[in-house]
Amino acid sequence: MEQLLNLLPPLLEGTWVTIQLALASTVLGGILSFAAGIGKLSRNFFVRAISVAYIEIFRGTSLLVQMFWLFFALPLMGISLSPVLAGILALSLNIGAYGAEVVRGAINSVTQGQYEAAVALNFSKRYTLWHVILPQALVEMMPPFGNLVVQNLKDTALVSLITLADLTFRAQNLRNLTLDSVPIYSLTLVIYFVLALIFMSGMRWLERVIAFRVGVAQGRARA
Amino acid sequence: MLFGIEWDTSSDLAFAISILPILLRGLIVTVQATALGFVIAIVLGLILALLRMVPLKIVSWPTAIFLEFVRDTPLLVQLFFLYFVLPEYGIVLPAFLTGAIALGLQYSGYTAEVYRAGIEAIPRGQWEASIALNMPAWLLFRDVIIPQAFPRIVPALGNYLVSMLKDTAILSAVTVLEMLHVGRIIGDRTFRYFIPLTMVGGLYLVLTLLSSLAVRFTENKLPKDGIPLR
Amino acid sequence: MNRKIRNMIASTLALALIGSLAFAQADLTEIQESGSIRIATANEIPYGWIDENGDARGIGPDVAEAVLANMGVTDIDWTVTEFGSLIPGLIADRFDMVAASQAVLPARCEQVDFSIINSSYGEGLLVEAGNPQDIHGYEDFVDNSNLTMGIVSGADQLDFAQAYGLRQNQIVSIPSNTDALSAVATGRVDAYAATGLTVGRLALNSEDVEAAEPFTDPVVDGEPVRSFGAFTLNADSDEFREAFNEELGAFQETQEYRDILLSHGLTEQDIDAALAVTTEELCSGEG
Repeated sequence: MEQLLNLLPPLLEGTWVTIQLALASTVLGGILSFAAGIGKLSRNFFVRAISVAYIEIFRGTSLLVQMFWLFFALPLMGISLSPVLAGILALSLNIGAYGAEVVRGAINSVTQGQYEAAVALNFSKRYTLWHVILPQALVEMMPPFGNLVVQNLKDTALVSLITLADLTFRAQNLRNLTLDSVPIYSLTLVIYFVLALIFMSGMRWLERVIAFRVGVAQGRARA
Repeated sequence: MLFGIEWDTSSDLAFAISILPILLRGLIVTVQATALGFVIAIVLGLILALLRMVPLKIVSWPTAIFLEFVRDTPLLVQLFFLYFVLPEYGIVLPAFLTGAIALGLQYSGYTAEVYRAGIEAIPRGQWEASIALNMPAWLLFRDVIIPQAFPRIVPALGNYLVSMLKDTAILSAVTVLEMLHVGRIIGDRTFRYFIPLTMVGGLYLVLTLLSSLAVRFTENKLPKDGIPLR
Repeated sequence: MNRKIRNMIASTLALALIGSLAFAQADLTEIQESGSIRIATANEIPYGWIDENGDARGIGPDVAEAVLANMGVTDIDWTVTEFGSLIPGLIADRFDMVAASQAVLPARCEQVDFSIINSSYGEGLLVEAGNPQDIHGYEDFVDNSNLTMGIVSGADQLDFAQAYGLRQNQIVSIPSNTDALSAVATGRVDAYAATGLTVGRLALNSEDVEAAEPFTDPVVDGEPVRSFGAFTLNADSDEFREAFNEELGAFQETQEYRDILLSHGLTEQDIDAALAVTTEELCSGEG
């Protein structure tokens, strides 16, 4: 037991880094999801092309390859990102591409009637998107987004392979020092599991809040 | 040199062409790992899904918790666990096998969900009719449930196959010489990372495209309403 | 999307990108004025490692700290990374210097610069306790193609192994020196190829492994391999390198320098051999 307690401080330091990485990449990934998801539905050819290219490339290649590329290949082009930036960027770009498909699917699922009503009410395209379509789509998006958030959390473990001192990196270091794999990896897995449960309940709370708020917004649009 | 093939650093194009056969050797390992991992995932997932449906709480609850645990923890850490912990209990598996098992284990969490969703989607009437007809459970599953669940399950499983293909890159962390690891070694020896890593990315795109097409093809071949009985 | 938000995001990304662009390489005046420097090492005892307290120790770090102190630089920001990432990290300006006693090789000289020679060492093989496969040198791997050898990615032992004609499936690329012990102890590889000192120190950590004795150095191009280690620097840090070399040269004439190297396991002959060779000779392929 005491042995386990000794392992906790370095692992918890790593956990804090993992949490920060997960939050930062979720937020940035979310922004990218909306940008690319909406972009893919755009009338503008270039916007659509860029969105499609981005989504296909980052969904079609492995996250670890993307991370290594940003960390090892990019410096040779003159742009040397620190491990933190490379890690967050890779995670965000990756989860953003998957999220984009969720956004696109959710927007497409909003019934045609909403668009027609907006035209009848003389709303501009932008107003329609922002105040009518997106709120309804947002409710559709939340469950798949919840899955993506957990997936992103699990993906943060990969940053340990580009020398970022997250939970997995700390676990590896501890093992190198003490050669005691069983308690270290068991504890690490449990911590990730607990984090996942926390993130999942957070997302479920967010789902409920949004469903509630969207209800209010719909009321406003009608008035 | 790797795998007995020398690379040519005289120009970028020569370099790219010379390392392609080396990267393809890695690609073979990637495909092999995916194939083995996928087989493990669909078999193990089925077993776990069935265990979870057993009426006994003492069987279904631990299974459900195990499945949730496997689904919500990182593949990399599961891989390290298998790679470093098993030897402490005397089980030393080669790195490739350890990697395939880790992939199979993580994805069995997902395939079990797919099976569950597929089976639950079957109308209640089918189950009730089988009870009325006094059908034994094994016959029910073999001739009624599975043929109907199959077409719904295949696309989802296919997506996970493509996903697993990309996850094999993680095996590079435990010395498996799959595509990414080979690309990285070339970079470590020549200090030229851009071309190998970009080529690895391109090869993954090709693999993903091909396997997506294969999955789509299989999907279309399957009858929508279920496989007809003999 | 809202134009305001779009612009915000664009400018944030632009700023982040600019902020992370490669800075000027290790600048002598900058380092001396700030009194701080970033150094990387690869966790390989005894050449450079981080101990349980988080302090950097080893042939590289100890000498570097002493020399830099003489230059007025006392704040060292240590990074530990994989051996294979040391030179790429240097090129990418992630750190100013590498203190891992990396062997000076012509291929490396093309990418980076080295200080004057600081250490010299021979080779070794780490095997399971009792040496069940009776391994005493690289030739044994040629005779028995079932034997596997673990090598850290980026290390020059790969060149020796390939010079002996070992097949690719006999070579296992392990990520770092610290994974080597368990790889040998669990039988995943039959031997771990590294410098003699590395192997000796690893053997001290566990009863499950030992250094292969007697051991014959691998012979490449007719000469038994002897490697010479130095500090690695970015190719553009000429001014800093010259200043560092001056101080290092002066330090190498002191007894303190010899004591440091002896305390980490080098012999007097190793030290004399190191002081007798120049970096230029090694970079051009002679010596």
